[in-house]
Amino acid sequence: MWRAYIADHVKNDRSSSLSVKISALIAALLLSLLCGLFYNAWKYEVERIQLEEGSWHSRITGKPAREDIEAIKDLAHVKEVIVDEKGEQGEGPTVDIYFDDMRVTFSHTPLIAELTGVPPEKILYNYPLLAMYLVRGGEDRAPRLVFPLFLLITALASASLVTIIHNAFAVSMNAKLRQIGILSSIGATPAQIRACLLREAAALCVLPLLTGTWIGIAGSMGMIALSNILLGNDIPGRHRAVPGYHPLVLLLTVLVTVLTVWISAWLPARRLSRRTPLDAIKNAGELRLERRARGYLLPRLLGVEGELAGNALKAQRKALRTASLAFVTSFLAFTVMECFFTLSKISTRETYFERYQDVWDVMVTVEDAEVDTFGETEAVQALSGVESAIVYQKAAAERIVTEEEMSSEMKALGGFSHASKTFVGPVEGGWLVNAPILILDDRSFLAYCEQIGAEPRLDGAVLLNRIRDVTDPDFRHAEYVPYLKTSGTGGKTVSVLRPSDGDGAPYGQAAVPNHGKDEGAAEIPVLAYTDKVPALREGYATIDYYELVHFIPASLWKAVKGRLGGMEAELSICIRGREGVTQEELDRLQEEIRQLMDGKYAIGCEDRIRGYATNNKQIQGMMAVFGGFCILLAVIGVGNVFAHTSGSVRQREREFARYMSVGMTPEGLQKMFCIEAAIIALRPVLISLPLVVVAVGWMLKASYLEVGVFMAEAPLVPVGLFLLAIAGSVALAYHLAWRKVRRISLAKILRDDTML
Amino acid sequence: MEIVRCEGIRKVYGSGEEQVTALDGIDLSVDRGEFVAIVGASGSGKSTLLHILGSVDKPTEGKVFIDGTDLAGLDQTQAAIFRRRKVGLVYQFYNLIPTLTVRKNILIPLALDKKKPHQDHLDRIVCSLGLTEKLDALPHQLSGGQQQRVAIARALIYRPALLLADEPTGNLDQKNSREIVDLLKLSNRSLGQTILLITHDEKVALQAERVITIEDGRIVRDERRR
Repeated sequence: MWRAYIADHVKNDRSSSLSVKISALIAALLLSLLCGLFYNAWKYEVERIQLEEGSWHSRITGKPAREDIEAIKDLAHVKEVIVDEKGEQGEGPTVDIYFDDMRVTFSHTPLIAELTGVPPEKILYNYPLLAMYLVRGGEDRAPRLVFPLFLLITALASASLVTIIHNAFAVSMNAKLRQIGILSSIGATPAQIRACLLREAAALCVLPLLTGTWIGIAGSMGMIALSNILLGNDIPGRHRAVPGYHPLVLLLTVLVTVLTVWISAWLPARRLSRRTPLDAIKNAGELRLERRARGYLLPRLLGVEGELAGNALKAQRKALRTASLAFVTSFLAFTVMECFFTLSKISTRETYFERYQDVWDVMVTVEDAEVDTFGETEAVQALSGVESAIVYQKAAAERIVTEEEMSSEMKALGGFSHASKTFVGPVEGGWLVNAPILILDDRSFLAYCEQIGAEPRLDGAVLLNRIRDVTDPDFRHAEYVPYLKTSGTGGKTVSVLRPSDGDGAPYGQAAVPNHGKDEGAAEIPVLAYTDKVPALREGYATIDYYELVHFIPASLWKAVKGRLGGMEAELSICIRGREGVTQEELDRLQEEIRQLMDGKYAIGCEDRIRGYATNNKQIQGMMAVFGGFCILLAVIGVGNVFAHTSGSVRQREREFARYMSVGMTPEGLQKMFCIEAAIIALRPVLISLPLVVVAVGWMLKASYLEVGVFMAEAPLVPVGLFLLAIAGSVALAYHLAWRKVRRISLAKILRDDTML
Repeated sequence: MEIVRCEGIRKVYGSGEEQVTALDGIDLSVDRGEFVAIVGASGSGKSTLLHILGSVDKPTEGKVFIDGTDLAGLDQTQAAIFRRRKVGLVYQFYNLIPTLTVRKNILIPLALDKKKPHQDHLDRIVCSLGLTEKLDALPHQLSGGQQQRVAIARALIYRPALLLADEPTGNLDQKNSREIVDLLKLSNRSLGQTILLITHDEKVALQAERVITIEDGRIVRDERRR
């Protein structure tokens, strides 16, 4: 009997069932997409760990005897043993052990070590990899939150979907309230009614669940493939993600989805099954307000139709909750995202690409090389198409600045009173500050001396004599003043100190004892004080505002490096090509540099044009991914509106009949429909706009960009298109519903005795 | 002075074998200020007649004039405006708009015409129907009798030419039924309101000054009681 009853409903009540079907489809799609993406993210992370750390489970340092290795291989659960004679980091021979069951790693490895006579401290575990399989060792203190986070987000998504989609079931079930009342009046128990409603929900949801799951799987694969295209594969540290899927993920997806949909259906079914027969028959799911509506704006602006539309939306707010939430969050997220990336793009362009536009075209980093012994400087400078090539390297150092040395402008800014103890420490006779050294190749240093009007010599340093107004945090429009006095400094030398060891002692205390000794300090003549910097892609005093940068030639560094040290492991070559250089020319130049260094040095190259394009591509990629999520959210909202408008026409027939019976014209009804659609579509803007203004205001403040600069590039077109798409979809949904409403016959409804 | 005139009204639903004749040649005339009750068994066609008089439905044949307006010539929009201004409809199940307060339910016919109520008229109706204290309530917060009073107030607010009441006491207890009929009589006497009441309750019908009996879509008796 029930089966026939359900089949009849599913067959005949298509419009109100549509909302349930769409909700089930959305739930399945989202959860399947989420699980698919999480699986691929997990897989990607495992692959990344395997590439970076290795795929071994445990590692023993030291070389066991051949027979020991054979014995290890024969142990239970040991899948593979690989011996590396040198070790990855050059730490000597290592034995990598792979288990067929990772869970035994922490119990079996110590036994293996004992067997081979290796002390326990020689054991290493691949904690990041093992944690990805939920195998945790007691000594691993790192949080390893990836897996728990995935599970938590899935649970939260499921709970959120329940709160959103259960209304669709409620609307559909409410449409049958009268029938439920009749069933109840003829003796159906609440449990029977509940079972009937749940079976009907199940019958409606089977196909959407299957369809949504498969679309979600395909979507997750598509998004991974898209991320490869959008984010690019040439980004350092990023490997290509290979889309994949696992039967267990499908099982988990189906379980979570079925549970989500079942709870969503069970909640309204339980509520309705408890209604008394009379109550169910009398209140057959009509729109009504629990409290008096107090809106003044709509009636004043749009008349009685506006008031009725506003009240109707209030009465339907639960049923339209999905749409409201989805539209507000998607519009807000999309707008903030667009604004954020626009600001980010402007900021990067201004502070990086435009600022260094005339400084570099190609940057080469040479590993394990020193500027004073680097043998290819002249060869690089002589390459065709090279306007200038500065070979340089950085070294950390410190020096003491005395009260007398400080400029009056610096003193006016408060001297070192604003300085953080992390960077500046008071010492006897002054303050110990960072004095980073930029070592330029001799030719470039001489050219720099000429550029600033200093005597071109190779036995001294040029001091970058400027300091930001530290009282003004606006880094974009920073004001500089002289750091040190320059008058009466002729023939001055500066004592540069070896950097402190970073032993945790307050700044400077470790370095001061070395002061004055030959070891750990060097007396360097000052050739000039300047506020001009050489044409390098370098930022100075960006974190430590009080650092005093010294430029010295490579030949001088050769003489003092033994006392100072602190040099970075790689040197850089900043190359500038001709004005208006093309990508092809830069590619050719980089190829020539690679050939020049081939076999001698390990190098890395980047060029400005490609860097700018890659930066834009990455921003576009991220915008596409985030935008995709926003669009998906909006699609959920649109789905809810379509489902609700098509499903609720029948439910609202009586409401429309009432309006018509008191003299509302078809045009009035249409106006009411238009107002409802407009409110649904425009409410996200009204709610989001103040939040967007606050967010953008905060971002502008943090980035010190001017409002006018942002407004000139404000993402009005994409945001407008997004809003238009939402508004257009809602309008279409209401238009289709209106086509049904206008066919309603008032006389037919009035003839129906159920016009309660 | 004649306010309602029906000439040979026929109303047929369906076609072929499923054809049902609800009204079969109704000729009727009602004068201004009359209180007419239409009685008849269920399915006799009395509600169909009321719907045609209220411009909710159109006759298959025949002519209907209300206050000089030929209802046959009205399109949907004109019919709605006619309903709003010329007739007041009162139903068995009140048909109040659940999302509007009592005050707004009463005023909605005026609001649809963007007109403001005459405060004296509103006060008089509200006061005489005993709704003064309930104006800010929502319909579901009222009893059945109170809801029916609101429906009557709404029907009277535009000073319609004709008040059509379809079983207005059908959903009420005896006490409330009596009160509603008394109110209708009061509006008939004090405001000179023409009322056409459909009922199958003989006691209610006897309150009217004229009782018309319909059977199988035809007027079989037209009795003036005083």
